[in-house]
Amino acid sequence: MTDLRLDGVSKRYGGGGGTSPDAADEPGTLALRDVDLTIRDGEFFTLVGPSGCGKTTTLRTIAGFEDPTNGRVSFDGDDVTGVAPERRDVGVVFQSYALFPHMTVAENVGYGLQFRDPPTGTSRDDRIEHLLDLVDLAGMGERDPAQLSGGQQQRVALARALAPEPSLLLLDEPMSALDARLRESLRRQVKRIQTQLDITTVYVTHDQSEALAISDRLAVMNAGRVEQVGSPREIYREPATRFVAEFVGDNNVFEGTVDETTDERSRVTVDGRTFFLPALPDTADRVTFCVRPDALSRAAEHNRFTVAVETTEFLGERVRCNGRWNGRLIVLHVDDPIDGRSADGDLTVGFEPSAAHVVDVE
Amino acid sequence: MSDDEPRHDRPSDTATGRDVTDRTGVETARIEAVTAWIERHALTLLALATAATLAVMLYVPVAIVFAEAVVDRGSVTLASFADVLSDPFFVGELATIAADPLALSDHLAGIWGWLTAISISATAVTVPGIGISIPWFAVDTPSLRLGLFGFTAYQAALSTFASLALGLPAAAVLAKYDFRGRRTIRSLTILPFVLPGILVAVGFYATFGRAGTINSLLGVVGLGPYPFIEWNPLAIVIVAHAFYNAPLIARVTVAAWEAVDVRSVETARSLGASRRRAFVDVVLPQLRPAILAGALLTFIFTFMTFPIVLALGGLELATVEVWIYDRVSRLALTEAATLAILETVISLGLTYAYLRYESAQSGLSATGSPPPREPLFPNLRSVVSPRRLAIVGYGLLALVVFVGPLASLVLGSVTDGSGFTLRHYAFLLDRQLEGESFQTLPVRAIVNSLLFGLATLLVAVPMGVVVSVVTTRAGRSGTVVDTLAMLPLAVSGIVFGIGLLQGLVFGISLPGGWRLQVTGTVAIVAAHAVAAYPFVTRTVSPQLDDLDPALVESARALGASRGRALLDVELPLVASAIVAGAAFAFAISIGEFSSTVILATGSDAYTMPVAVERYLGRRSGPALAMGTVLLAVTAASFVVVDRVGGRFEQ
Repeated sequence: MTDLRLDGVSKRYGGGGGTSPDAADEPGTLALRDVDLTIRDGEFFTLVGPSGCGKTTTLRTIAGFEDPTNGRVSFDGDDVTGVAPERRDVGVVFQSYALFPHMTVAENVGYGLQFRDPPTGTSRDDRIEHLLDLVDLAGMGERDPAQLSGGQQQRVALARALAPEPSLLLLDEPMSALDARLRESLRRQVKRIQTQLDITTVYVTHDQSEALAISDRLAVMNAGRVEQVGSPREIYREPATRFVAEFVGDNNVFEGTVDETTDERSRVTVDGRTFFLPALPDTADRVTFCVRPDALSRAAEHNRFTVAVETTEFLGERVRCNGRWNGRLIVLHVDDPIDGRSADGDLTVGFEPSAAHVVDVE
Repeated sequence: MSDDEPRHDRPSDTATGRDVTDRTGVETARIEAVTAWIERHALTLLALATAATLAVMLYVPVAIVFAEAVVDRGSVTLASFADVLSDPFFVGELATIAADPLALSDHLAGIWGWLTAISISATAVTVPGIGISIPWFAVDTPSLRLGLFGFTAYQAALSTFASLALGLPAAAVLAKYDFRGRRTIRSLTILPFVLPGILVAVGFYATFGRAGTINSLLGVVGLGPYPFIEWNPLAIVIVAHAFYNAPLIARVTVAAWEAVDVRSVETARSLGASRRRAFVDVVLPQLRPAILAGALLTFIFTFMTFPIVLALGGLELATVEVWIYDRVSRLALTEAATLAILETVISLGLTYAYLRYESAQSGLSATGSPPPREPLFPNLRSVVSPRRLAIVGYGLLALVVFVGPLASLVLGSVTDGSGFTLRHYAFLLDRQLEGESFQTLPVRAIVNSLLFGLATLLVAVPMGVVVSVVTTRAGRSGTVVDTLAMLPLAVSGIVFGIGLLQGLVFGISLPGGWRLQVTGTVAIVAAHAVAAYPFVTRTVSPQLDDLDPALVESARALGASRGRALLDVELPLVASAIVAGAAFAFAISIGEFSSTVILATGSDAYTMPVAVERYLGRRSGPALAMGTVLLAVTAASFVVVDRVGGRFEQ
């Protein structure tokens, strides 16, 4: 299996005419800016970010479909920058499935076995059968891809990518064309197969909840840069930047001026209202911090303020309330029902200083 | 294709690498390495071969002719351009501008004076021969000297207009209505386009000439004969151009129409647009690029028209191309080359514009579910509705323009002044059986045509496919390569023929005592392939463009080289386009006249169109018979390939 490293990878489109779907047409678009990543052997690693953030370009650079303008890509310490994709030993699954429409399911799965031998002791046909079994499509080998449902087609694409035993599996938004329920079950299946085969996997998605659910570690990308790399818990609980704080999960972000810092705590003013946070560095003048919706509680003793609730969404056990405080959008979760009344109107909530996560100080 | 070349090789990461260490023979390893290298670079090698063929067979010959214009006794000069551009004979009123480009106020005053002198008045026009007057608006413009280039553009514009007028109704009928034979007519729209110009010219003579079909028909009711062609040769030339190009316009427009998504129309209707408004606001904008592309292509073709004008108009209607031919035959090569360069610059510019439009158009063609077609004649009563009557009227007109010339050709070959006869065919048979070897033998012409056609197909299809693969998805630089590769469309057939003769047939001296010389059959096939491959590219490129790029990328990630992915994935998926392109190549080869007639001079490598021309003497009968044979062979090969192609489309 394979360790994967990207060192200072940049990608500029234009001048020569970019070919990636991510590339804008104007010359000199910088799609990747100095990306450093280390992906460990056997890891399920996710690249997540809004569209145009460079996650797909990163994946395509790893696969060899794009050559980086600067920097290098290495597999197990070997520099593979510039090596043609067919010589990289990677399996790729695309959002569009990209099944060969003129071949049967079995021919699709067996295509890569023309170029890379099946594992010793297995015949080509055995290998195809084994993989169709693995993705729960046993006996479908003679079908045409067009006869299958979207989820089935995507599983054929996965089987096809895995058939030649690649050392690296690359998944480019493989589920965005599927409906929500199917996406979840397929996601679990992908994760199960990945664990079973212990194959290093890079997964691209724009869906942060999917990224949190499936990954060992993930990288949040924005505007061609990696904002933060970490485990789902680290990313969720300790976002390193304001972008990550706002992109991953619901969050409430506040900026304030630091008035006073003692050993235990700092006093901060946001929009004329005083909040207490855990002690900040002495030099801090301004602070950006965030509080998750679940941490805003009606029972909390500290840091209380009143939110004008505008809309509510019923989630089952809880209700998500969207409202404003001093013009700022605030999202919070409350139990349902709230004292037997609807959540409309004003709600006074607070948060414990320890629940605030500091994103940035100046 | 730099991504085909690995800059760093990992020792153990390829299948071939693994195989090599397993086997012991060093020789085997070397052979495998070479095979693998060739496979990996197959596409690059093919592209280089294509580029080399184009260089030798197209760019060098054309450059040789062009050099005549700028090289005068060993030194480069632009004097001949200055001569042409300031001569009103060539450029009309523009000559004064070329002579003194900076006198802007004079030029503007001239244009203003001309514009203010235009007057429009109501008048009556008498339809010739019948004597009925119809009201008409007369636009009275002060005389304007167009010059040779101006006239060429003028007749091209009129021809484009006529082709649009004749082609768009056909597109509407084909796209909106369902009727028996719709599919056949739709695929037949390709036929006029590949018919040899000489055949069409002969067909138009057989229709409109003094002894033609129309005069025969009029003779039955005691009218005529009328000298239609002599009355207004320009009108006949324009109708002949419409014969060629209206089907082309209909074809591209129908294709765009069928790509329209019915849901976009339904959305507009649900938002309150009437049927007409929905058409104008939603459908028409999606058709516009196709119509413009078709019109532009028509303009390019008719700007460079040659056999039609030469045969039907002669030197009085000289276009640039005809004048070039005339200059060449009078050995005024410098003037010919100068005109050819100017003509090529104009047509290349137009071709570039066309390609830009075409790519804009391919962006629009999403996965369409076109609006359902309604039956043309749902019941007997519907025949008399105004709309249906108009369609029937149009159908009759189309019958005269499109079927008339070909039917007249066939008819003319089996009749003489007194009635049915087979003696024209008997003449061909007699010539075949009794003819001397220096005479033109019909069977040899047929065999030559078929062999050249087959050889052309074998050369042009790989060339066209390679150009498609290289230019698809290459962005703007791709359009530039595409334009250069489309040079055969933009460069005059006469120039091309002369260049081949002067350059390759006579031979080019190379350093070191070598001579580059290509003659006879090889030269003809190469010339045909160069003329034909753009049509392969034009049919294959759009389909290739529509393929999901992830298909090729998947194949490559699975271990296939670029060439292998082309072979395994792309080519099978665009097979129908390749077959259609092959049909085109074959038909272009069968019909090619301009360069074949030059290259076949004095040899027995003549083809059917050349034979038609050689039989064209005082009596038109044998030529009509030979033309009918040519028509039959072209149509038969077309039908065969269309059937095969139809099977591939499933």
